[in-house]
Amino acid sequence: MDKIKTRKPFWKSPYMLVLPALIFYLIFWAGPVFSAVKEVFTSVDGGFSFETIFFLFEDDKFLPALGNTLLFAIVSIVLQFLLALALALFINRNFKGSSFFLFLMMIPMAIPIAAVGIIWDTGLTESGWFNSILSVTGIQWFLDTIGITDGAILWKGATGFKAIMLLVLIDTWTVLPSVMIIILAGLQNLNKEYSEAALVFGATRFQTVKHIIVPIIKPTIITALLLRIISGVQVWLIAVMVFDFDTVPFLVERIVYYNKFFYTDEYFKLSVAYSIFVMMLVMTIATIFLSANKKAERGRT
Amino acid sequence: MSYIKLENLRKVYNKTIEAVKRFDLEIDKGEFIVFLGPSGCGKSTTMRMIAGLETVTGGDIFIDGESIINLEPRDRGISMIFQSYAVWPHMTVFDNVAYALKLRKLPKEQIKKIVDEVAVICDIKEHLERYPSQLSGGQRQRVAVARAIAVKPKLFLMDEPLSNLDAKLRVSMRTDLKRIHQDLGSTSIFVTHDQSEALSLADRIVVMNQGVIEQIGTPNEIYHTPESMFVAQFIGSPPANFFDVTVLVKGDKVMLSAKSFEFSVKKELEKKLKEYDGKQIVLAARPENFTVDKTGLIETEIIIVEPQGSHIVINVEVDGKEIKVVTDKLDLQVGQKIKLGLTDKYIVFDKDTTNRIY
Repeated sequence: MDKIKTRKPFWKSPYMLVLPALIFYLIFWAGPVFSAVKEVFTSVDGGFSFETIFFLFEDDKFLPALGNTLLFAIVSIVLQFLLALALALFINRNFKGSSFFLFLMMIPMAIPIAAVGIIWDTGLTESGWFNSILSVTGIQWFLDTIGITDGAILWKGATGFKAIMLLVLIDTWTVLPSVMIIILAGLQNLNKEYSEAALVFGATRFQTVKHIIVPIIKPTIITALLLRIISGVQVWLIAVMVFDFDTVPFLVERIVYYNKFFYTDEYFKLSVAYSIFVMMLVMTIATIFLSANKKAERGRT
Repeated sequence: MSYIKLENLRKVYNKTIEAVKRFDLEIDKGEFIVFLGPSGCGKSTTMRMIAGLETVTGGDIFIDGESIINLEPRDRGISMIFQSYAVWPHMTVFDNVAYALKLRKLPKEQIKKIVDEVAVICDIKEHLERYPSQLSGGQRQRVAVARAIAVKPKLFLMDEPLSNLDAKLRVSMRTDLKRIHQDLGSTSIFVTHDQSEALSLADRIVVMNQGVIEQIGTPNEIYHTPESMFVAQFIGSPPANFFDVTVLVKGDKVMLSAKSFEFSVKKELEKKLKEYDGKQIVLAARPENFTVDKTGLIETEIIIVEPQGSHIVINVEVDGKEIKVVTDKLDLQVGQKIKLGLTDKYIVFDKDTTNRIY
């Protein structure tokens, strides 16, 4: 039998359609990444070498920065997911004034991170607005009375775990609406009868959320959390605004610090090495999330 | 005492919109009740109040003598089939049916036994390991039915369960639902706006309009003795034809007079109509209440012919408006002159109250 020849010449094939995008990625993405990798693996005098890699792993702040970054990313994603889900479920009930409440909630989203940094930088000083609120509302007095605090809290004196948690709270304040809005969109697309059926067939409200709502909107949740964890790994600006450079190290904070405050080739290469490490970390996390998403959608497309 | 009792039930949204104004109904054990009405008549709201998915503004609901309005949906002993089936997409068919049983913490073997049983009844045995997305609409509907009967409820609620199916499947599913109902002897409430569904399924139909009950009765009562003009025009396909007629008492006889025809009424009616002398009332005649032959009293011409196989529906003009007539004279043609007669199955309504006089 004759084979039917359907092959077209390359310039007529569908690949031609993706070619412009491919060229774009080669020039503006693959190119810079390649030159960055090359930068890391060449020594100061130009030959191939691992010395920057050794320099990275020998850096005293590397492990603390990695630990802080992961701790920050994981705690903030868990906290933000739970809060955003609760708020989205709350707003989705469409009570009177829910749209105004939604508007109020969105305000922090409109504030640039640097401004957020300033707000909390001034807010968290000993006599800043945050402590004023605590004192005016009587919360300070209450905390003092039950013995948790003894006078105004010195927020900026926080170190280690406490400092990270403080940054998590500030970050949550800023980005919660953006996570919430994605989950809310998922909830609004959800057929109400799914949860009503659960209520009729014996589930409590909590069980309905856990067994029915969350699993069904899982793809939406994963998307929202993927975006969050990527920017969680890239946290640096609030840390610097609130605690200054080199106090609470983060991976991206290291990139900026070594790049801007040290003027030798070694430190430039070190900051590039940090960049590549962050990039690989982000890609690994994204891959894990996307495969989880595939699993969630399996069998029901 | 009745098994289920809805007493003076009321629902008001946002303090202004009265979705259900007053609803009284008693249901016996094993009855199949259909709530029928146009969209927005309050039938779904009433059902959702029974299910506990909607709060009750006033009145009470009793199942087995116990008030349920303050109970959570899960504690009411009901199960429900939804319009969109609401079969959970992330669970297999087995898990969908077993979910309620798992929440009741039944032992695994017993759950499996029950699921297998209902899967046989609903003919989904070979799909138990599949996900809903791999099933057709009809099969998903069966899963919803299986899930509903697995819990052995005191009361089945069905909210337009057939309206998402295609016409052919809808009719066969209807028969299946009726068979399941008969086999299990369950008490059921079924909401629909489709009168043929209502007529074919119900032991009793509750016809609703604008938040109130228009009539409660068996399918035959509803069809043949509609209590109001609304019921007469809502039930029947095509619906009943209405004529404005004047009552004229001439000695012993009582005549009904329209622009283009006049006739003396049946004996039983004479006494009731005497008090309407000189007044206008409404005459309602179903499309099949007419005769088409050469001796009828209304002369007219056929405008449209719609063959239906076993019978035809013709449109003719009477008194300046088009009416529909069903006849088995299959050879009638457009433009043909005919004479319409009226059998004495017609009904008359009071024009002011729209209630049936006879």
